[in-house]
Amino acid sequence: MIRPLVIFLAVTKSWIRSRSGLFFSIMFPVLLLLVFGAIFGGGVGGGASTLFVQNLDRNPNGTATQLSSAFVDALNSTKTFAIKDVPADVDSKVWTKNNLGPLGGNIRIVMISEGFQDDVLNGTLKVRVGISYSLLNTTYQYFAPYLNESEKMVYEQGLAQMRQYNETLSDRRTSLTLAFDASDQSAAVIKNIVINVANAFNYHLIGATNVIEFKEESVTSNRYGAVDYYLPGIIAAFIMTNGIIALTANTTEFKRRGIIKRLSITPLTKFDWIIGNVLSQTLLSLMLTAIMILVGWIVFRVQAIPDALTIAVIFLGSVMFSGLGMVLGGLVKDVEAASALGNAIAFPMMFLSGTYFPMDFMPSYLQSIAKVLPLTYFSDGLRYALIYKYTEGVLSNMAVVSALAVAFIILGSVVTRWKEK
Amino acid sequence: MTEIVVEVKSLVKQYGSLRAVDDVSFELHDVEVFAFLGPNGAGKTTTVEILECLRSLTGGSAKVFGYDVTKREDVKEIKKRIGVLPQEFSALDKLSVKENIDLIGGMYKKKLDTREVIKLLDLEDKTKERFENLSGGLKQRVGVAAALVNDPQLVFLDEPTTGLDPKARREVWSVIYNLKRLGKTVFLTTHYMEEAQILADRIAIINKGKIAAIGSPQDLISRHGGRKILVVRKGSKELAKTLQDKYGSTMFDHGGDVVVKVDDVKEMWQLLGTLTDMKMDKEIEIQAPTIEDVFLKIVGARITEEGELK
Repeated sequence: MIRPLVIFLAVTKSWIRSRSGLFFSIMFPVLLLLVFGAIFGGGVGGGASTLFVQNLDRNPNGTATQLSSAFVDALNSTKTFAIKDVPADVDSKVWTKNNLGPLGGNIRIVMISEGFQDDVLNGTLKVRVGISYSLLNTTYQYFAPYLNESEKMVYEQGLAQMRQYNETLSDRRTSLTLAFDASDQSAAVIKNIVINVANAFNYHLIGATNVIEFKEESVTSNRYGAVDYYLPGIIAAFIMTNGIIALTANTTEFKRRGIIKRLSITPLTKFDWIIGNVLSQTLLSLMLTAIMILVGWIVFRVQAIPDALTIAVIFLGSVMFSGLGMVLGGLVKDVEAASALGNAIAFPMMFLSGTYFPMDFMPSYLQSIAKVLPLTYFSDGLRYALIYKYTEGVLSNMAVVSALAVAFIILGSVVTRWKEK
Repeated sequence: MTEIVVEVKSLVKQYGSLRAVDDVSFELHDVEVFAFLGPNGAGKTTTVEILECLRSLTGGSAKVFGYDVTKREDVKEIKKRIGVLPQEFSALDKLSVKENIDLIGGMYKKKLDTREVIKLLDLEDKTKERFENLSGGLKQRVGVAAALVNDPQLVFLDEPTTGLDPKARREVWSVIYNLKRLGKTVFLTTHYMEEAQILADRIAIINKGKIAAIGSPQDLISRHGGRKILVVRKGSKELAKTLQDKYGSTMFDHGGDVVVKVDDVKEMWQLLGTLTDMKMDKEIEIQAPTIEDVFLKIVGARITEEGELK
């Protein structure tokens, strides 16, 4: 095992001294972690999203009606929105476009129609009278056998008057309009918040309380944030790109410059060469993991603490992807082709393996593709090991990763050319 | 008779319809510098790389230290015993001179101390310098150092001075000259006539995959170099006519020089005697043919600085 160690030392030194190598293998992933953490770390949009509100329900003196302003206050109380009033006498879509501010932003407008208060009161009254009528009616039917005729008449007259009154109340519902841009990624979330506020408003007005209370709970014992989800994904993805893109390009560059040829004249075997490179990449991966977790902890207070199992997962995943890198490096001749091939494999894999987006969102055919991608098993295994501490899940995923690691190293020593034609 | 280090018989290497090496046979003896001289594409590197066990052969046989280059077990023995400076040698840019030599040395069980090799190649003050910062000549010296680190008996130097400036080229020549003093057998390939003539004990002129001539420089020159030339500077037409009548092959050139082609040493002395009798007091110059003349005669063309035939 001396020769692989000599190769390991030489390529590792060479890599550590290369600034571009260092940047792409370590600094770039750290930057990405910071960016991802900043974007997804703090709920919807982190701060408040701008919501334009045009309230057309006005009193004769021009002030907003009591109920409509109560609704706006309810929206405000979610603390999700920074509410901006749109004057009642303008075209709201045109006005908001002109008032987005110098940096632009998304247009989301809630329009409260004229007659909102009247309609709400009318509707509320109708519902309440309806409920009272049905309650009294049921009570009357129950007690009717015990009443005399004159008593019955009084009750029936009263019920008839109540029904008549309810029929005079209109069926008209008031409506709210939410306008947004079709390309707005957060529109669905915002729509749900507005609907929830409207429902709560409805319940409150008709005097109902929530029968079902909704509670959120995490399946993991600790409280984890979004960064905890992304961290293993980003680590896994970069161990993959370091293996597939960087190692492939490096190997091809060594080939182009005749360094592999020079080494192949010595007693070094192809297998020794591959093992030395794979070991070097693995060390790099462990360093990357340590730095990522450290930065994650300092900046985002991530909870992920690597244990022995996590280190084993990182080791196996790294062996697998550097093995694949050696296969690709053995197949391609020039550096440009290596980089093109590496990117062509790495990028689809990165996005299809649930690294950045959970796979549940994908169409079923993409989910089937994800199931044959090595990164899926690696990032799942890493997530189970690092976050969920779900050993069984780690072992089943790592069984696949280990089998692929062995296969890639064997394939690598088949396709690596140690002899010229 | 010295020990035979390399033995090549009827070697053939075929690439599709191209016969890169065509029925080549030669031997290398212990402690000699043997040069393959020929233009680009003549089959020099292909032959050498077959001997280095880097390429397979199509036909014939090749043995190094008696080991067959086609046998897996023999290849291991050959690799232990040879040192190689490949064509366009390169090393890891970010590693120092010593680290690069250590890298190659790390591949062998039996090896020299790196410091010793560094001293041998006069690289002591560059030990910690990164490979990427070295000049072309120094890079080649690192390459030779790496080739010597396993203390090989046979060293292959494939185009060791191609692309170097004249000063760096001479530095490499002195390194090669020293190798012979160290008791190494050197297999050199080159397209520089002067390099082959100065360094080699024996030269094989190779063109289009075939060996056109083989022998020591002197032997090749005397066999194929043609006649020696005696020049009388600022002579006269009369002198030219006198010498033409007596010896033939004389011309009076544009610069006023009288140029006489002489068959052999005996005739040269006769000619010198004639000139002495004439109380000649002009400058004279005797020009011997070179390997370039040999090459021109055998191949019918010269080789450019870039290694192409012209």
